[in-house]
Amino acid sequence: MKNTKYILIAFLSVLLWACSQDFLDKQPLDTINTENYPQTAEELVTVVNGAYQPLQWPKLYNLRMWTSDIMAGNSIVGAGGGTDGIETQDMSNFVTQPDNAGVLDLWRGPWPGILMSNIVLETAPSLDIDENIKNRSMGEAYFLRAHYYFILARYFGDVPIVTVPLSSDDDLFPQRDPVSQVYDLIISDLNQAIELLPPKSAYGPQDLGRASKGAALGILAKVYLTLGDYQQVVNLTTQIEALGYALNPDYYNNFNINNENGQESIFEIQYASDGGFDFWSNENQASWASPFMGPRGANFVGGGYGWNQPTQEFMNQYENGDLRKDISVLYDGCPTFDGNSYDSDYSYTGYNVRKFLVPLSVIPSYDNSPMNFPVLRYADVLLMKAEALNELGQTSTAEPYLNMIRNRAGLDNIQSGLSQTQFREAVLKERRIELAFEGQRWFDLIRVNNGQYALDFLHSIGKNNAAQKHLLFPVPQIEIDRNPNLTQNPGY
Amino acid sequence: MNKKMLCNNHNPRGFFALIFLFFLSTSFLFAQNNNGLKVIGKVIDENNIPLVGATVLEVGTSNGAITDFDGEFEIEVNSKSSIIEVSYIGYQTKRIEPTTEKIMVQLIPDVTSLNEVVLIGYGESKAKDLTGSLSVVKMDEVQSQPSSNIGDAIQGRAAGVTVITSGQPGNNPTIRIRGIGTIGNNDPLIVVDGMPLNGGLNQVNMKDVESLQVLKDASATAIYGSRGSNGVVIITTKRGKKGKGNLDIDVFTAIQQPTNIIDVLNAEQFATLSNEMLVNGGLQPNPNFSNPSSLGQGTDWLDAFFTTGNQSNITLSYSQGGEKTNLFTSFNVFDQNGIIINSEYTRYIFQFNTDTEVNSRLKFGNSLKINYDLKRNGDNNIQNAILSLPTQPIYREDGNYSGPLGQPVYSGDVENPIGKSNIVENKINGYNLQGTVYAELGLLKNFKFKTLLGTEANFWDTRTWVPKYSWDSDISPNAYLAEASNKSITLLWDNTLTYNKEFENRSSLTAVIGTSAQENKFKYISGSVQGFASESTQTLNNGLLQPTIDGSGSEWSIFSYFARAQYDYKDKYYITATIRRDGSSRFGEGNKYGTFPSASAAWRISEESFLKDSKTVNDLKLRLGYGITGNQNIGNYSFASSYNTNVYNFNGNFVTAAVPTVLPNSNVQWESQEQYNIGFDATLFNYFLDLTIDGYIKNTNDMLVPQTVPVTSGYSDIYVPYTNAGKIRNKGVELLLTTHNIDKDKFKWSTDVVFAYNNNEVLSINSDTPLTTGGIGLNYTLARIQPGYPINVFYGFVQDGIFQTQSEVDNHALQVPGTDPATSTSPGDIRFRDLNNDGIINDDDRTFIGNPNPDFTYSINNTFKIGDFDLSIFFQGVHGNDIFNANRLYTENMSVTTNQSTDVLSRWRGPGTSNTMPRAVFGDPNNNNRQSTRYIENGSYFRLKNVNLTYNLPVEKFRNNVFSSFKIYVTGQNLFTITDYSGFDPEVGPNGIDMNIYPVTRTFTFGLTMGF
Repeated sequence: MKNTKYILIAFLSVLLWACSQDFLDKQPLDTINTENYPQTAEELVTVVNGAYQPLQWPKLYNLRMWTSDIMAGNSIVGAGGGTDGIETQDMSNFVTQPDNAGVLDLWRGPWPGILMSNIVLETAPSLDIDENIKNRSMGEAYFLRAHYYFILARYFGDVPIVTVPLSSDDDLFPQRDPVSQVYDLIISDLNQAIELLPPKSAYGPQDLGRASKGAALGILAKVYLTLGDYQQVVNLTTQIEALGYALNPDYYNNFNINNENGQESIFEIQYASDGGFDFWSNENQASWASPFMGPRGANFVGGGYGWNQPTQEFMNQYENGDLRKDISVLYDGCPTFDGNSYDSDYSYTGYNVRKFLVPLSVIPSYDNSPMNFPVLRYADVLLMKAEALNELGQTSTAEPYLNMIRNRAGLDNIQSGLSQTQFREAVLKERRIELAFEGQRWFDLIRVNNGQYALDFLHSIGKNNAAQKHLLFPVPQIEIDRNPNLTQNPGY
Repeated sequence: MNKKMLCNNHNPRGFFALIFLFFLSTSFLFAQNNNGLKVIGKVIDENNIPLVGATVLEVGTSNGAITDFDGEFEIEVNSKSSIIEVSYIGYQTKRIEPTTEKIMVQLIPDVTSLNEVVLIGYGESKAKDLTGSLSVVKMDEVQSQPSSNIGDAIQGRAAGVTVITSGQPGNNPTIRIRGIGTIGNNDPLIVVDGMPLNGGLNQVNMKDVESLQVLKDASATAIYGSRGSNGVVIITTKRGKKGKGNLDIDVFTAIQQPTNIIDVLNAEQFATLSNEMLVNGGLQPNPNFSNPSSLGQGTDWLDAFFTTGNQSNITLSYSQGGEKTNLFTSFNVFDQNGIIINSEYTRYIFQFNTDTEVNSRLKFGNSLKINYDLKRNGDNNIQNAILSLPTQPIYREDGNYSGPLGQPVYSGDVENPIGKSNIVENKINGYNLQGTVYAELGLLKNFKFKTLLGTEANFWDTRTWVPKYSWDSDISPNAYLAEASNKSITLLWDNTLTYNKEFENRSSLTAVIGTSAQENKFKYISGSVQGFASESTQTLNNGLLQPTIDGSGSEWSIFSYFARAQYDYKDKYYITATIRRDGSSRFGEGNKYGTFPSASAAWRISEESFLKDSKTVNDLKLRLGYGITGNQNIGNYSFASSYNTNVYNFNGNFVTAAVPTVLPNSNVQWESQEQYNIGFDATLFNYFLDLTIDGYIKNTNDMLVPQTVPVTSGYSDIYVPYTNAGKIRNKGVELLLTTHNIDKDKFKWSTDVVFAYNNNEVLSINSDTPLTTGGIGLNYTLARIQPGYPINVFYGFVQDGIFQTQSEVDNHALQVPGTDPATSTSPGDIRFRDLNNDGIINDDDRTFIGNPNPDFTYSINNTFKIGDFDLSIFFQGVHGNDIFNANRLYTENMSVTTNQSTDVLSRWRGPGTSNTMPRAVFGDPNNNNRQSTRYIENGSYFRLKNVNLTYNLPVEKFRNNVFSSFKIYVTGQNLFTITDYSGFDPEVGPNGIDMNIYPVTRTFTFGLTMGF
């Protein structure tokens, strides 16, 4: 019948229309297909940029890296009291459990960065692009991978070494490798980075903030200082001296949003304002330091949650006339902040951090602070050189370096003729003040005398249950549950 | 008989066919008797349609005949005094006396619903012919429970169908059929007028619904293939009926209150608690609280936060039908003010359905629903309303809202919930259209071709406006505006070819083959900005600071072929088989297609000779079914491997960053589910009792479970790909019992009992490590998915009383060591059981502490008709489920500065004062608030769900018959609840975690329905 023929045609056309591959082939509209990416220099650079991003996260420098000062006894959590910041309180009271949320953050921060560095290192060599971009990108990837592993090694000890990007078909459940092998990788990566990276002076304003030769030299020096190879520290810091860095005559200019990536800055984590991203998301480009450390209920800054309140013991370390005091901390009678007088009632300890605060009149909103976070400053390099020279028995050669820091802070030279032990103590104390609240103190404590220095200090300030096991964090329980090949750190 | 219904009743050719077939019908006699009286007649049903295959029997003999295609019969009986019995399945048997004229026998359907036409996927069937497990929800009972959402009204009315209402105005309920079958999406497929619904049930006006059936077992749902594994709900809206025009007006108005509000401390009690808590925590108490009794009652935040809600609703519907065309149209307006201040829902629905017969072969029609709804509310934070301090007034003296004032440890930091409810404006405007157009063409003799085109367009705009405010220490210096625009368009094209044949041996065959293609595109854009110079111009282009933009889209598509054959023999033996092949865009190359077969059979035991004449067993049918269905409800692009574009900056300059987030897994494919079903349908004791019992086993295989991705891979351990590796089993029994207790003219009483038992067990998740779910705060491990246990089982510590003395602390396993009661375990703290006896309480001392899946659900409905009054009383209950009352983490922790529930008045204050409620101590050093049996409660409840009293005015008494019907009704819903649960309401959601859930309401409705 005629109708039947038409029906069958309609039927078939439906089948043909929908049967065509295209109908069922839907690809995501808002992500990049990895099959052909990266191909060009621009695309490679976007992957390198992605490798930097985890550094910005609260899991790393936006929160957890500087809360280590609380653990190190420079300050207390403060905040809203009670269970606010309980995970950090537990860390600072040395009752950390494997389910601690802060520990989990520190574990989860570096690995995506390592993955992205691995992707760059795997894909870049075969690309046909400008050699300068290729070398710089690979140098950045080596630097970043080394930096992420350096964070992991210092907090957790043995960790799995992953040097290629993984997929579903690979073995996703590695064992922990001995920390000595991890350091071998870090050192090898940093040496590659030193070769490949340009100096900071070669960066134009739109690339300023990328890893540079000086940054790689500086981090490598810090690695050797941690491992106790002082001669290497001296060699490397001497090389950095030739690169053109200088101390900012005014200490304040290290923490000035109008002087970011300045002459003293070797490597800092970049933040920017007006990005408009959700403050609590991974894309957030604003710094958490100002809103979190701002005094609570004081309206000094946008936000103001009152974290990181300096202890009396820390405040007592300031010598009279130290110019850094008024810049670093807030206390009763200190210079006004953005026209406001500080009241010790704002804090449980009577003190707050000042260094990272951006006034309310400049940045009114809690989620918009552009202040970069310092990872390595030239002052740190000079102090490392002083410490290393002292350890090599060349205390008198070390003195001028320590004095440069002290003089910049308005203090007199260190007393001459100190013993090696006394000078070491002086350098460590200087580091504590100079680099206060920059996330360096904990690492300084645990590397001296195989961690005994940390335990002695912590006991001296009343943290009597700090024990050898606490020098490393526990591997997060949730990760051990997932990957039975991971063992736990002793004592947890 | 089916064939006859296709043809025009007034076709003159039919008369000649009648004569011809009359002669043919003589061959259908299976016994001859040449000596007696010849009786001829015709058997018709209540609609005057001839009944084919009716049995005509001479009582007391084996002499009988069967009616032919025109319903005619011829029988020779012994004498004039013989009795002839005419019977047909589903109809009341009639006895007649022999006469010489042709007898017209009209049979009336019996009280069971065996002849009801029910919709199965892509076709229809009579209830008596079903071989699968299908629940038909009785719409007249549902309509007695007026609600804005039909999903809420089917709660308890179908065995195995669990409905959890959301109290929030305008929100859709959660529907689960036969337990939780997957850790992924458990929502059933909802088909409205032939098209799967993309939006929600709130787009459908309950009054417009003609029928609602739930397909439960695989033999019924397999025809929906990859979307059938969670069950299918089929809804059709009313269509015009032949006859003069009918106008119905339905109006109702209702008031609502929360069923239960928890009690919180007053100012005096709070001040006392605060002092104790701070002192125990080693801190100075609040100097303002030195005399608690002087503070009196203080602020009752909950009283200011909750209010009496109301609803008003009017539906006008018009239906008419003529020779060729019928029409149904309706318009509905619904308006609701919720039980929380500043919450509102308004909805308009317009419906327009037509059917037109062009000629005896061709028919076409449409169903159209257009609706608009508006949800408007402030920032209604129930938790903040509970936690706000009673010592803080709602307003300060200058009339401004209050905020926390003073030291945070004394004044807390809860945002003023009344203020936030009143000043924040959240609005969602929804515009929805669902339309289907179909054409049906009869081909050859037994074929019918139908094509159906469907469109669904959902547009919704959201808007949030927060003005700037300064409430003591709670300051938001900039006004904030966010707007978003969403659009989702779905297209559907179904084609089916149906074959229908009735054979001479009284068997019939129905076969259908078809294709279905569906595609959806979704897109959204959004923006936000802060800082407005003037708050009178609230548009995005007037904001000054921090603009953000966002936007994206996604698509999916499905293409399928399916076929079904149903064969039945003499209404006694039935067999059905279906198969469907689905292709989905959600799976990668090589995995796009899946095949889903099913088969079922039924045996009407009551038609066998040994039961045929039984008065006790009027109908008894045994059903068996087996089928495989699928679930493709995972993300749209799970198979893809991709980088997200993200951002970084150098020296303040933003740059693009390409970031891989999810570990790629290109092998992902369907979940498949196989289901076995056995069932009995029976009508017993002379139509007194109807009973349906079903037993089922539902195995989900290849369940999509999150792949375990360790953080060391660099990929997210939270946004992980899925791998087909899990197995879950649900098995259960369902029962529906209806008794017609009294059936007289002026007094009727019938009872329906629904009961369903389901047992859920996770069999495998492809990993030795259990999956954790149920995250609260920073902790993700409240519930587990672990082999050997039900899904979402609760996991935590076991509370073992309270330490009364220091020696008890010392003698127990180590909890938090130390000597200072402000920082270590002390008398008054909770003792947790050392399950592994290792002397330390840590994560190894956790175990399974509760099961959120109910053992059984049940309901009892009694309907009465007393004169002109109808009364129905409906009870509904759930039993055997545990609830984790997560609200108590905030209302009983006694460790931060927030208000607490009055349960804390019984807290520990010294030895022997309490063995259940610990001491108040700031900072909770012992972590009394950890996830333990402390907060697990029995969630069973029994509730008087609905009472409806309707008065039917005797319309025949009105002049001119102006009304065809006039009803006045009152209903009460959720009138009382019997439960041990201490939270707002025991209906909390399938995962059993009560976290800030909107309380269910008690509603009193008064309404009128008038028909003209």
